[in-house]
Amino acid sequence: MATVVSVQNLRKRYRRRDPWAVDGVTFELEAGQAFGLLGPNGAGKTSVVKMIAGLLRPDSGTISLFGSDPGNPAARAELGLAPEDPDFPKFLRAPEVLDYFASLLGLDDEERKRRIPETLAFAGLESERRQVRQFSKGMKQRLGIAQAILGRPKLLILDEPTADLDPIGRRDVRALIERLKESGVAILLNSHLLSEVERVCDNVAILARGSVLKEGTMSEVVPEGSNLEEVFVQLIEANQPQRDHMPSFISERQ
Amino acid sequence: MNGALAVSRYTLLELSRRRVLLVFFIIGALGIIALGGGLKILYQVASSNPNNFGNASNVDAATFDRFLELLFVSYLFQALSVFALLIAFGIGMTAIYHDLESGAAVSIFSKPVSRFAFTIGKLAAAVAGLIVIVGLLAVEARLIMFLFGGGLESALTGQLLAVVANAIVVMLIVLSLSTWMNNILAAIAAFIYYNVITGVISTIHMLADGGVIGNNVVRDVFDVLYWLVPHQLVSSAVRDLAQAEIQISGGVENNQALATIPSPSGAGDIAWWVFTVLVFAGLVYYAVRRRQV
Repeated sequence: MATVVSVQNLRKRYRRRDPWAVDGVTFELEAGQAFGLLGPNGAGKTSVVKMIAGLLRPDSGTISLFGSDPGNPAARAELGLAPEDPDFPKFLRAPEVLDYFASLLGLDDEERKRRIPETLAFAGLESERRQVRQFSKGMKQRLGIAQAILGRPKLLILDEPTADLDPIGRRDVRALIERLKESGVAILLNSHLLSEVERVCDNVAILARGSVLKEGTMSEVVPEGSNLEEVFVQLIEANQPQRDHMPSFISERQ
Repeated sequence: MNGALAVSRYTLLELSRRRVLLVFFIIGALGIIALGGGLKILYQVASSNPNNFGNASNVDAATFDRFLELLFVSYLFQALSVFALLIAFGIGMTAIYHDLESGAAVSIFSKPVSRFAFTIGKLAAAVAGLIVIVGLLAVEARLIMFLFGGGLESALTGQLLAVVANAIVVMLIVLSLSTWMNNILAAIAAFIYYNVITGVISTIHMLADGGVIGNNVVRDVFDVLYWLVPHQLVSSAVRDLAQAEIQISGGVENNQALATIPSPSGAGDIAWWVFTVLVFAGLVYYAVRRRQV
């Protein structure tokens, strides 16, 4: 199978005095594969995703996106990114946002007329007439997923795609991931919903403080009789200082 | 260039929905109507009383009408400058800043569009937006001028070009700064740079050039500084207006007052303006290119 993304020894920090946000991350993703990128808050998952999408420059290491540097616009032609906390030009309406992005993707009029209404219907935004600034977080997240699939990408990056969605929206996203996987699209999923990741991903990497703690196929990472959540909690707790989970004023008897 | 066109088209659509620009435009439009209409009403009131003109007064109705027109055009020039600057700040503070700060840039830059095309699209939309809004105010002003005798139409056109050209420079300064910092701070910094620092340098340079400041060191220093700041373009309209005012008041044309009015910008100033625009547009691109989102 063709390699879609190859990340080699990636390092990134935002300021010189800061610790590394991403420290030596290496993995590959092939067509038709779903890869789960997991980690606690601040582990560096979003930084990795943004570097793959050409939004952040790595300090060292290499990224190959469809064989090119992600900074090259042509390399991003077959990339769909649904960012965490998505936002859009706030005075536009949902169909205008999709038309804008369809123009950036170079879709012709005929394709736009076909894809935009269908994508809006999938996202449940077909009858929405308000401007983006009046959208709820969930609606923005739906629009974020809609714009990510609009270009029929060969790599779909979903950064916390279901964080603000209702159960129906989550079910739709899960079905979307499964359908895209079947059609050969590579999926990079960054989520805290470990049951979801366990259900749809073939490979998984667990990050903490910018480094990969464990990586492999789902069966390699999750032993028989266990589940991903257990493995994740054990691994993270073993690699970070223990802390008191409850504030003392909560633990105290009344 | 499809990417630049798309960015430009949708930025213009966004600008057309921005309430602050609409408010500036409405205030400007109503102000021009009130100014022209008010002066015309003043004329009607004055001319309705036969004692105001003719033998009892040394001012006839036609001269008074002409005086009011000059007054209107003079105020109009100031109003256009102020509103062009407000609109330049309004567009400059938001056209790129909102995309970068809201997170919209994450979705935009993950698409196959280069930062260069994005910058070109944003700059084209910002300049077009400014020209359209100030142009509409100028068209309205031109229509109001029909209420008066006419004859100053070319002065209005020249002044409009100078005002728009100067506002474009201000807008580019705000755009480039707002890509680095908070847009309110960017507007304040641009105001200080363009209106205070540049203003002081230009004034001292003019005084030194005119021989008012005799110190050679000061003259040399400000000669250098003058070529480090944008030069405001000046049309011949201000001088034409002053000349017309002198004529109407019966003064001689080579009046000393004319000497204090800056002469119209020449080819060197226009070339410097082009250079300044390119430099600031380049800074906007550099800032957008470096920006990590």
